[in-house]
Amino acid sequence: MNYYITYFIVAIGLFSFSAFFALAGVYAERKISAYIQDRLGPTETGKFGSLQTLADILKMIQKELIIPAAADKWLFMLAPAVIFIAVYMGFAALPWAPGLIPSKINLGIYYIFAIISVETLGILMAGWGSNNKYSILGAMRSAAQIISYEIPAGFAIIAVVMIAQTLNLQEVAMQQGILATEKIKFAGFWDVSKIGGLFSWNVFRAPHLIIAFVIYFIASLAESNRAPFDIPEAESELVAGFHTEFTGIRFALVFLAEYSMMFLVSMIGVILFLGAWNTPLPNIGSVHLATWTTGMAWGILWVTLKTLTLVAIQMWIRWTLPRFRVDQLMNLCWKVLTPLAFACMLISGIWRLWLM
Amino acid sequence: MSLVRVLFYFLSFIAIASALYAASSKNLVRSIFVFFVTLFALAGLYVLALADFVAVTQVVIYVGGILVLILFAFMLSGKETLNILQQQQEKLFSLKKLPALLLAGVFFIVLINVVLKADVDNLQWVKDAISFKNEITPNAVMIDNIGINLMTRYLLPFEAISILLLMALIGAAHLSRKEGKV
Repeated sequence: MNYYITYFIVAIGLFSFSAFFALAGVYAERKISAYIQDRLGPTETGKFGSLQTLADILKMIQKELIIPAAADKWLFMLAPAVIFIAVYMGFAALPWAPGLIPSKINLGIYYIFAIISVETLGILMAGWGSNNKYSILGAMRSAAQIISYEIPAGFAIIAVVMIAQTLNLQEVAMQQGILATEKIKFAGFWDVSKIGGLFSWNVFRAPHLIIAFVIYFIASLAESNRAPFDIPEAESELVAGFHTEFTGIRFALVFLAEYSMMFLVSMIGVILFLGAWNTPLPNIGSVHLATWTTGMAWGILWVTLKTLTLVAIQMWIRWTLPRFRVDQLMNLCWKVLTPLAFACMLISGIWRLWLM
Repeated sequence: MSLVRVLFYFLSFIAIASALYAASSKNLVRSIFVFFVTLFALAGLYVLALADFVAVTQVVIYVGGILVLILFAFMLSGKETLNILQQQQEKLFSLKKLPALLLAGVFFIVLINVVLKADVDNLQWVKDAISFKNEITPNAVMIDNIGINLMTRYLLPFEAISILLLMALIGAAHLSRKEGKV
């Protein structure tokens, strides 16, 4: 019975983490955007405006939950929950440190890839349920974008999986550091099994994975509907896209899903390409930096730091680049990213056969 | 009753109930979304049968692909067409539906027959597999097995399916191509 209680505790822990991350993420986004646009951002509530998002949440909880008269009531009410649960379930298979993973499943990355695609359905539900032209246009755009960009993202992931030879994320993480059980070579020639650190990360183990990582990162921006791929909620054309009609706590759920998605896709990128919970510091001679900085607490620290860096880059890109047009978006996906991802997959096969 | 059995009946109930709703509902969009519940319950049943790869593939292909495509086709078609479709007042049993009813009935009899005659608890090959320890444990890695079998024993069907898919791909590209100015 204790077993089941642990499951519940883990689930609640992950939920509170994603809620806390969304709070901090919104605040960080405001401050970063303010810095980039030479403004101050929130300053009044709390020290440096740090309580601003908490105040926003309090406001949202008090707001009336409005259901438009012509809306499909059930679809409209369930949509935010479906959107958030799809993202939240993805967290179940992410490893945080050596031996620390909520659910040790063999199909790790494949499962996450599957469960994220449910989000599309939630967005379509929201768009159709609202019975609003802007909402449905936003939902259609979002779905078209997500299912298109799943293809380059999927092939970039397959390129890594072919190198790692496993779908289990904990094993993928294990291979990229000093805890690896097999021989790890830097760029195919230098044995770094004992040195670890930066050199044994997947992007350096097989350098073509740097291209795969960039492809994955661009596609993950599109999958989480972030700028420059935010045509689903393009506020200058569509009011707010698929979540135009949502108020109060339902709107908060949609937002929570967006920020959790940012963290989720960044963390997958970190685990697959950037060494997961492994330290970036190598063992140099008798200075065993890698051995000293590997462990449970260090693992959590490294993976969180790396992921937050990627999230910060996502925010930086959002406030720097203008929005794509639909045709540019599809051109980029089908004519640039997809062929490149195919090439990466091919190189991975050759690399695995001849250089590892 | 063990937890597995409780889960089995629970998931089967959800699958059957949502499938019935999807088939009988007049609201087309809703029946598509309820179909999603059916597919998810089916995936749960696959997991209970230790076929987790099949379960995840089911979610990828049906939920992420086919359901979204159905919804796309649905939302791109005009509202008038949909209203006409939704307002058809037909009875469940009518002469027009006789072939369908007949087919469904016969298939139902076949299924009942199989279920009654199978005697699942005493199948010979299942007993053999257990006695030779040739069975799947919940922690087994099945992907290697699937990959090796696809590339050796089932290579011909695998290639045939990939050629079929390639044909569908080329056909779709041909259909959606811009008409050239001749």
